[in-house]
Amino acid sequence: MGNVITDGEIVVSGLTKQYKQVRAVDGLSFTIRPGRVTGFLGPNGAGKTTTLRMILNLVSPTAGSATIGGVRYADLAEPLRSVGAVLEASSAHKGRTGRNHLRVICAAAGLPASRADEALELVGLTPAAKRKFKGYSLGMRQRLGIAAAMLGDPRVLILDEPANGLDPEGIRWMRDLLQKLAGEGRTVLVSSHLLSEMELLADDVVIIAAGRLVAQGPVADVIGQAGSVGSVRVRTPRPDALLAALDGAASSRTEDGALVLTGVTAEQVGDAALSAGVAVHELVTERPDLERVFLDLTAGKEAIR
Amino acid sequence: MRLIRSEFLKIRTTNVWWLFAVGALGLLVLAFAINALNMHFGVLAPPPEATEGMPPEQAEALSAMAEPVALTSYMVTSGQYFGLMFVMLLGIITVTNEFHHQTATTTFLATPHRTAVILAKAAAGGVFGIVLWLVTTALTVPATLIFLNSEGITPALGDGEVVRAILLNGLAYALWALIGIGVGVLIRSQIGATITAMVIYTVGTIAVSIIVNVLTSLLEWDWLANVQWAMPSLASNLMTSGTDLPGQPHYWVGALVLIGWAVVTGLIGTLLTRTRDVS
Repeated sequence: MGNVITDGEIVVSGLTKQYKQVRAVDGLSFTIRPGRVTGFLGPNGAGKTTTLRMILNLVSPTAGSATIGGVRYADLAEPLRSVGAVLEASSAHKGRTGRNHLRVICAAAGLPASRADEALELVGLTPAAKRKFKGYSLGMRQRLGIAAAMLGDPRVLILDEPANGLDPEGIRWMRDLLQKLAGEGRTVLVSSHLLSEMELLADDVVIIAAGRLVAQGPVADVIGQAGSVGSVRVRTPRPDALLAALDGAASSRTEDGALVLTGVTAEQVGDAALSAGVAVHELVTERPDLERVFLDLTAGKEAIR
Repeated sequence: MRLIRSEFLKIRTTNVWWLFAVGALGLLVLAFAINALNMHFGVLAPPPEATEGMPPEQAEALSAMAEPVALTSYMVTSGQYFGLMFVMLLGIITVTNEFHHQTATTTFLATPHRTAVILAKAAAGGVFGIVLWLVTTALTVPATLIFLNSEGITPALGDGEVVRAILLNGLAYALWALIGIGVGVLIRSQIGATITAMVIYTVGTIAVSIIVNVLTSLLEWDWLANVQWAMPSLASNLMTSGTDLPGQPHYWVGALVLIGWAVVTGLIGTLLTRTRDVS
């Protein structure tokens, strides 16, 4: 026993994977902090899955290293008590029940079989515990994967595209669960290409494209750094009068006739409209979102190499 | 130890093990019946026209086979042919399932030391083989007693050579599980591994025998005939033949060949598994 990590920081440094033709991951370095949900983002084929598999010792790196709490995954004495991972939805024997699938893992990890039932309860799969895996829906499979990751009550959770196959209710459930787990001080690393979902879920992001790091940090910082600025959208029957009153705000028109103004705040626009006596039907501050930033940052990086 | 428990649980929690056990035992009954008929009409009471004009070596082999020790060994190890095949298939499936159902990821996450996983599979497969051997032998011993008594022959069950044949048969069951695991690691595709192994086991054995025999008589190199014993299925047969029959190598040659196959396939497979990317 023993050698369960106490600090769940993930450190990736200079990680590289060269396949025959393709450099899937290219000198990648980043740090994932405990107590936060980190979104690991990138276009399809950016090397997200390869990176996660290298962190977990499933794929051997060509160069570089990855440690969890300062230890390589292969050197963890009790890996499942330190790290839980959900890597693909369909990773159980079709003819085995969900409960038996978890008990097999418990046996290998030296965990009591009762943990299987507790984990099933945690993910709400208890009613389907004795059903065979082949009868599980995609969402149930994803839940079973999360249950497997939680068996050892790990400090660190690594999930590859966990939202795939979940319905909106399931996505909501997973978001709450992951945020709760991070709130308990665990490290939560989630890869995804669903940016709007990540903006709701993640505290930090690591963005990669073509196997290289593009940006990392708290979501707000990354959005700020990217240089995309906010704008104000306003709808009025007298746009020219409003523009004259605002004096100097850069503007453009949307297809349905709304004005998009940059360089001014919504307060300034509202005050100007009042003093000019212009009616305002809509006034919205538009923040640049993660999707916009992501597309800007990853533009020009070939997704398919 | 907990890895072996985990591997047992994997075998126990799917249908494969009992389907294979039922298959092996069903074919055991068939094999025993065929062997009994073969011994009765071929060795003990052959029709006169069959023995007429028989070459002297063959007649000699025939009379050696009719000895109680040889007969008892032969009958008690009935069902070996299909039993070993099922044990091998189980070995193949315990490995290829991990790739077929994509559970290799889960398995290697729980145990990053892949060699330990393969060893645990070997241990679990070997024990399954021995259990099947125990059940098989528990059925063939009384059946052999009944058959030989009805033929008016005193069974030589207590004879050292017969006991040796029975025990070596157990070894064969265990070793074939290891060979199966070795094949499974070498050929990860479940269908590919299963079909390759079955073709080699059935057709391949016969083909090698024929080729070797043809070459031997063409080239008149008598030593060449011994090459066929390198085939694992013939080697296990040789190992459990009880007495040394004329024209055959010693029983322990078969044991060595079999151990060699298990070690070589297992070793290469383990080395491959250690370095292979799991994705």
